[in-house]
Amino acid sequence: MAGADTRHTLTLGFEGALKKVSVATPPGEPRPWDADTKTQVVGEAVPRVDGHLKTSGAAKYTHDINLPDMQHALVLRSPHACAVIKSIDIKAAENAPGVSACVALAKASDRVLFVGQDVAAVAAATPEAAREALARIQVEYEKQPFVVALEKAMQDDAPLVHTTAVKERRTEGDEPGAGGGAKARGNIRPAPSMKKGDAKRGLRQAKVTHEAVYTTQVHTHTALETHSIVVRWDDAKQARMTVWCSTQSIFSVRGEMAEMFGLKPQDVHVITNFLGGGFGAKFGASAPGSRLGFIAGELARLSKKPVSLLLDRREEHTCTGNRPDSHQRVTLGATEGGALTAIHVVGHGSAGIGTGAGIGRNAFGIYTKCPNILVESADVFTHAGPGTAFRAPGHPQGAFGIESALNELAAKLGLDPLELRIAHNEHPVRRRQFELGRDAFQWADKRRRAADQRGRNTRMRTGVGVAASIWGDFGRAKAASVTVTVTPNGGVEVRNGVQDIGTGIGTVMAQVAAEVLRRPLSTVTVKIGDSELGSSVGSGGSQTTSSVTPAVRNAAEQVKARLIALAAEALEAPAAKITWGEGGVASARKGKSIEFAALCKKIKGESISESATRPQTYGSHPMKFLGSPLYQIAGVQFAEVEVDTWTGVARARKVLAIHDCGRVMNELTLRSQINGGVILGTGYALMEQRVMDGRSGVMLNANLESYKCLGARDVPEIEVLLTEVHVGNNSTGAVGIGEPATIPTAAAIAGAVMDAIGAPVRALPITPDRVLTALGATS
Amino acid sequence: MSKRSGITRRGLFRGIGTATLVAGCATPKAPPPEGPAQTPPVTPGVTLGPGPAPLQFELNGQAVTTEVPPSATLLDTLRLRLDATGTKKVCDRGSCGACMVLVDGQPQNSCMTLAHDVAGRKVTTVEGLGAGHDGGQSPLQRAFVERDALQCGFCTPGMLISCTALLARTGGAAPSADAIQDAISGNLCRCGTYPHVVAAVKSAAGGGA
Repeated sequence: MAGADTRHTLTLGFEGALKKVSVATPPGEPRPWDADTKTQVVGEAVPRVDGHLKTSGAAKYTHDINLPDMQHALVLRSPHACAVIKSIDIKAAENAPGVSACVALAKASDRVLFVGQDVAAVAAATPEAAREALARIQVEYEKQPFVVALEKAMQDDAPLVHTTAVKERRTEGDEPGAGGGAKARGNIRPAPSMKKGDAKRGLRQAKVTHEAVYTTQVHTHTALETHSIVVRWDDAKQARMTVWCSTQSIFSVRGEMAEMFGLKPQDVHVITNFLGGGFGAKFGASAPGSRLGFIAGELARLSKKPVSLLLDRREEHTCTGNRPDSHQRVTLGATEGGALTAIHVVGHGSAGIGTGAGIGRNAFGIYTKCPNILVESADVFTHAGPGTAFRAPGHPQGAFGIESALNELAAKLGLDPLELRIAHNEHPVRRRQFELGRDAFQWADKRRRAADQRGRNTRMRTGVGVAASIWGDFGRAKAASVTVTVTPNGGVEVRNGVQDIGTGIGTVMAQVAAEVLRRPLSTVTVKIGDSELGSSVGSGGSQTTSSVTPAVRNAAEQVKARLIALAAEALEAPAAKITWGEGGVASARKGKSIEFAALCKKIKGESISESATRPQTYGSHPMKFLGSPLYQIAGVQFAEVEVDTWTGVARARKVLAIHDCGRVMNELTLRSQINGGVILGTGYALMEQRVMDGRSGVMLNANLESYKCLGARDVPEIEVLLTEVHVGNNSTGAVGIGEPATIPTAAAIAGAVMDAIGAPVRALPITPDRVLTALGATS
Repeated sequence: MSKRSGITRRGLFRGIGTATLVAGCATPKAPPPEGPAQTPPVTPGVTLGPGPAPLQFELNGQAVTTEVPPSATLLDTLRLRLDATGTKKVCDRGSCGACMVLVDGQPQNSCMTLAHDVAGRKVTTVEGLGAGHDGGQSPLQRAFVERDALQCGFCTPGMLISCTALLARTGGAAPSADAIQDAISGNLCRCGTYPHVVAAVKSAAGGGA
C-alpha cells in the first residue's frame, strides 16, 4: 500500500494572516480543506440531529436500562480513611431475602486507604433488598492513622499512604506527554520537570521579583448521570456479554471487561446510546476509585442474571475521581522595563491515593519570550479518593498560579497586565485574541473605572482580568474507523462506535458526510454509541472531533468516488470528466447529468459502503505545541466581576471567550461547549470545593446542596468570539475545544477580583471570607 | 376511585421554591411566582403499608394503576415500576431539579414526593409535554433543540418541566431573562446549557432571543 506522499499548496492561517503553505499528505488522502474551501453544511449552526430524543425523554441512558429479571447492585464502602481489615463475612448477606449474589471485594489483612473504598457488593431483586443485605455484611476494621490535607501529608511525620510502589492510572482524558514520576519520598512523588534556560540565573539577573504561594481546591466532576454499568451475560457458557455503560470511551470499557473476564474483545458488546456527562471521570470499565465493571460483571456471573450498578451522589463525589488540589510557589523575575527574566514554579498537588496532580503547561508554554523557565511538580498522596483527568487536567490550576503571579508582578512594575502578557506570548493567534479582546472588552476603560472605584473606596467594585489557554491538537491517527454507506433508495448512513458525551459528535459527523456528498443533512442518518459500529476514540482530551470527522470525510470521499464511477458508466463518460454538483447531481462535460436518486438506483447489490480512518497529523501552521509536530490551540478569556466589599461576595458579570478551534464544524454546538467551559470555570473560581473532615477523613459535602455548582442565576453574560484557524492538520481541519474553553476562566476571574479590590486572593475558590481577608490586608 | 394516603412530606420541599436551595450564593430577585403545591388532605382512618398498597393516578393523560409501598417516591415509581425513564434521578434529595414533574400543573421534585401523595392527581413528565402538538413536540421542546439548550441531555427533562410551568404562568407571554433564570434556579446543569435555555424559552414564547 505504500506510495509517495502528495504535496498540496494550502491556504492556511487566520484572517489577515493567511499564507500559502506546502503540506504533504499520505497516499489516498483527499486534499485537505483549507481557508479557500467554502463549505455549505460544515460550520453552520445546525441543531443537533438527535435533540428531539433528549427533549422527549426517549433518549435511553445507562440509568434507564431495565432488563427482564435485572438485579440491582450496591457496594459496601469503607467508612474509614485508613484501616486494616481484620475479618469480613458476607454469608448473612448472601442469605438475605431477594439477594441473588454477593461478593467480597477485600479480604482480611487488606488495607483500605480512603472513605468510600470498595469492600463488598450485593445484587438483589430490588434496591431496597440490596440495601438491607448490605447492612448484614460484617467487617471488622483496625483503624490506622491517616492524613487528608495536602500540607499535612507533606510533613516528614505524616502517616504514609502507600507502603508499596504506586501504579499510574492514565486514560484518554489525560494530556498526551504529561505524567510519569520518580520514586516517592514519604508521601511526595516528584513528576518530571519542564525546563528551559536557567531559571535560577534568570532570577539573579532580575531587578524586580515576585514570589507567592497560590492554592486551588479539589473539584469533583459531578456529571449529572452518575457512573453506571449494566452487565448481561449473553450465553449459558458465559463467553459473551453485553454491557451498557455510562462511559466516555466505549472501547476502553470493552478492552477492560474482556481482560478482567478472560474474553475476546469482540465477545464484549458495549452500548452507550446516551451519556449524562463525564468531564474526564468516565474512562474504562471501572471508576478511578471503584471497580464497577468487575463488580457488575462478577455479580451477573454469579447470579446468572443481568445486573445494574448505578452509583449514588455520595459515591460519585467520593470514589469516581476529581480534579486534584494544588499548592504552587510561583517566583517571577523581570527587568525594570518589564521583560521577564525567569519563571519558576514549584507545584504540589494531591490526587488522593492516585497520581496525576500536575499543574499543566500554562507556566511553561504560554509566555515563552521569557528565556528561563522551570516548572517542577509532585504528587502528594493523601487518604482520599483518587483524582483523575478532569477537563484539561492540571491546566486550570496552573493557569490560576501563573496568571495570578503575572498580575501581581505587573502591579509591582506599574504595567498593564494585558500588555505584559502580549509582550511575552509568541503565538500569533493568541496575540490576535489578546488584541481583539482588548478592544471588544473595552479593557482600558474598565481598568480606569476599577481604579476610580478603588480610589473612591466604593462599596461595590468592578474589575477586569485576563488569562490564556494552551492545549494541543491531539487528534489520533487510525483510531476511529468510520463507515459511510449509500443505499439504492438514496439514503446515506454514517457509522462509528464513538459515544456522544454531549458535544453533538453525531451531528458534525452527519454534516461532514452531507458536505462531501452535497446531500441535504436530513437525508443522512448517523449510528453511534455501540462497539459493533467500528473502533473509535474516547471523548476526552479535545480529540474526538479531530479524530472522527476526518475519517468521516475520507470514507465519504471514497463512497463519492465509487458513485462517480457509477455515473461515468451511466453517462458514458470517463470518470475524470464527471463533476459532482449540488444535491449530488453527477454531470458529464456535454451537459448530460444524472440525479442522485437515479444514480443510487444503479447501485449493484445492497449498497456502496466504504470505511476509512485518518492518518497522523500532517501540519501545524502557524504554531507548534511545545516543540511537538502538533498544532498549539490558543484561547484567551476576559472576565469582569463585581465585588461587594461589605459582604465579600464576588460575582462574575461578564466573560468574553475568544477561542480558536481549527475549522469550525458547527457553530451552535461549539458555542454550547464554550459556554459550558466558562460556566464550569466560573464555579471553580467562586464556589466549588470538596470539604474534607480532617478528623474522620469523610467528605462533608458529598451532595449537590452544599457542594456548590454554578446555578442559572450565577452565570455571567458570556460572549464568544471565534478566531477560526486553518492549520493543515487533517482532512477537515478540525481541532478540539472542550479543554481550552475551561482553562483560563478561573484565572481571569481571579485577576478581575484583584483589579476590583486592589489585593490578590491567592486561593480558589474566591469565597466571601477570602475576599474580606484580602480587603483587610489592604486597609 | 382513588385512595389518598395520609402520608405527606414537608411542604417546605414542595414546588419549585425548593430548588432555590441549590442556587449557590445568588439570591433570586423575586420570590417564587407561586406558593407550594397543595398538599392533599389527610383521609382519617386510612392506613397504608408497610407492604405495597394500590395506587391510581393519571400519568401523561393515561390512568395508571399500580401497587407501591408507602415509602416509595414518585421518582422511583415512575422509573422502576412504570418504565417512564425520561425523568432522571441525579441527587435523590431535592437539590438538583432533574426529577421535576408537573403535579396538577405545578412543578415539583418527584424524588421528594411520595408516590401515594399523587393518588388521584394528574402527573405530567417530560414524555407527556409533546402531547397534542405537531410532531409530538411542544414549541418549547422544539425551541430547546433549535437553540441547542441541551448538551448531555440529563438535566433537560427537569429544565423543560420548569420552563413549561413558567410559560403556563405567563400565559405564553415572553418572560424576562431574570424570570427564566429564577424559574430554572433549581435545575442544575453541569454542561452549562443555562444561556441557551434562556434563549430557547424566549424564542418559544415568541420573544426572540
